[in-house]
Amino acid sequence: MLAPALLLWPLVRVFLFSLQEYGLRQIVSGESNYIGFDNYAEIFSEPMLWQIVLPNTIGFAIVAVGGTVVFGTLVALLLASLNRMWRAIVSSCIMVAWAMPAVTGTYVWIWLFDANTGLVNTLLLGAGILDEPHNWFTDRWSFYAIVVLNIIHHGFPFVAVTVLAGLLGVSKEMIEAATVDGAGAIRRFFQIIFPTLKPVFAVVVILSTIWDFKVFAQIYLMPGGSGSNRSVLNLGVWSYVESFAQNRYGFGSAIAVLLTVMLLVVSVVYVRTLFKEEK
Amino acid sequence: MSAPAAPAAPGVPADATRARIPARRPRSRRAKWILFGKSVAVAALLIFTLFPTLWMISGAFDARASSASASLIPVEFTLENFTYVLAEGGFARYLLNSVIVALLTVAASGALALFASVAVARFKFKFRTSILMMVLIIQMVPLEALVIPLFVQVRNLQMLNSLLGLVVVYVAFSLPFAIWMLRGFVAAVPEELEEAAYIDGASWWRMFRSVLFPLVAPGLVATSVFAFITAWNEFIFALTFMNDPEKYTVAVGLQQFFGQYSNQWGYIMAASTLITIPVMIFFVAVQGKLSSGLVSGAVKG
Repeated sequence: MLAPALLLWPLVRVFLFSLQEYGLRQIVSGESNYIGFDNYAEIFSEPMLWQIVLPNTIGFAIVAVGGTVVFGTLVALLLASLNRMWRAIVSSCIMVAWAMPAVTGTYVWIWLFDANTGLVNTLLLGAGILDEPHNWFTDRWSFYAIVVLNIIHHGFPFVAVTVLAGLLGVSKEMIEAATVDGAGAIRRFFQIIFPTLKPVFAVVVILSTIWDFKVFAQIYLMPGGSGSNRSVLNLGVWSYVESFAQNRYGFGSAIAVLLTVMLLVVSVVYVRTLFKEEK
Repeated sequence: MSAPAAPAAPGVPADATRARIPARRPRSRRAKWILFGKSVAVAALLIFTLFPTLWMISGAFDARASSASASLIPVEFTLENFTYVLAEGGFARYLLNSVIVALLTVAASGALALFASVAVARFKFKFRTSILMMVLIIQMVPLEALVIPLFVQVRNLQMLNSLLGLVVVYVAFSLPFAIWMLRGFVAAVPEELEEAAYIDGASWWRMFRSVLFPLVAPGLVATSVFAFITAWNEFIFALTFMNDPEKYTVAVGLQQFFGQYSNQWGYIMAASTLITIPVMIFFVAVQGKLSSGLVSGAVKG
């Protein structure tokens, strides 16, 4: 069992780095330089963590997960209502959005919102809504709005396909009985479909949360996303920039450990609520 | 953009039964409205889903992609973006590097996963839960946390700028999922078949080649595609390990490209199209298998 070692050892090491003042000199010499929990103290006393990085990471994850799951579920419901041929056609088209690599998809979104040559600005200028080209990437809110759009576009197919597989398994008799009893569409969804599909939703929400917490390329590649615009940093990019741009590998490791612990907590909480409800 | 699909959807499950009523019967006014709403929702969904891909492809073929006048159907059709990117932009080199890395990853993870899955499924180890845990942990652990220690490690091994260094990392990441999926396929092969082969005098190796392997091959195709896509798309490790332009993979090459030609959208879209096409082909080829493989890995045996 080589794989566990390959993965656990780096995790142990990143924790050990986080307890050190670990820079280029330590990498070259291989010396260790333990400073206890100083890196963590520095992180937690950094106003940027509380005002920018944590809100960016957590707020973004909540919005992106909510958006992806709700939109994906609506698409699944739509797909379930189509006949077989149209369902196959639309599902295949959805796959295209899923298959688009994150890196290239991000560049397409950057181009769409580009200040000078982007479609969005061209349309808004043409319609007279904007008077001059607007740079969408400098403002923290519009920056993250584009990231959310990118993530939902890339992430909803997984939710739609998974929920659809569950939907097709929901007993038709139960739904028909409820309809006869006069339950409306929304009531049918929340009282029959949702409880039956709870495990499916749990998996979809857990995986989406994990993915959206550690989103990297989709932010790093955007204009200003690789550290030059500090107001758009999230935990992952902050850790990377501190490590590889500032050569503060110890400090970057501490941020990375913080991110890992947060993901661990989120996963454990989800898994526990899932199992509790099954009993 | 995503909003238009929303309003029509909640009423859907009941409409599913309605849609199956033969068209000959006169439809009620309500049914007509529902059909209309669904058509609008489908159209809006398809536009939202496909638009970025179509925009990328048309930009790649458009000579005017770098000005604001780009349109969905190229105004001035050209192949110049592709020829420039491949010949002068160095993208041919990046493509070659990515192909090498991805194929080595597929070969190594496929071979290792095949034998590991036979061991896990057949030799009654109690690894089932631990492998599922590995799959989940790999999903959970942020790559941003692993890239720092692995960078130091790879640097100490003098393997920065080595394609092989990337392959080792990608194999480690794709292996647990591949084992998990193949396990389901191996467990589905009846043991009686294997026993029959032994009774006919076959060695374990012969049995493996003639009985087990052909039956597991479809699963191997699916895991190979998964490993290929993982290696092909991966960004953060390739970005960190490779600083010699001769060794860039496509994802990093594209990023450098953007820095160099930030307003040459025709070039960037041509390069993006080249990266995307193989992934799309593979993805469509195995679309159903990935999720069903995951499920069967969980259920069988």
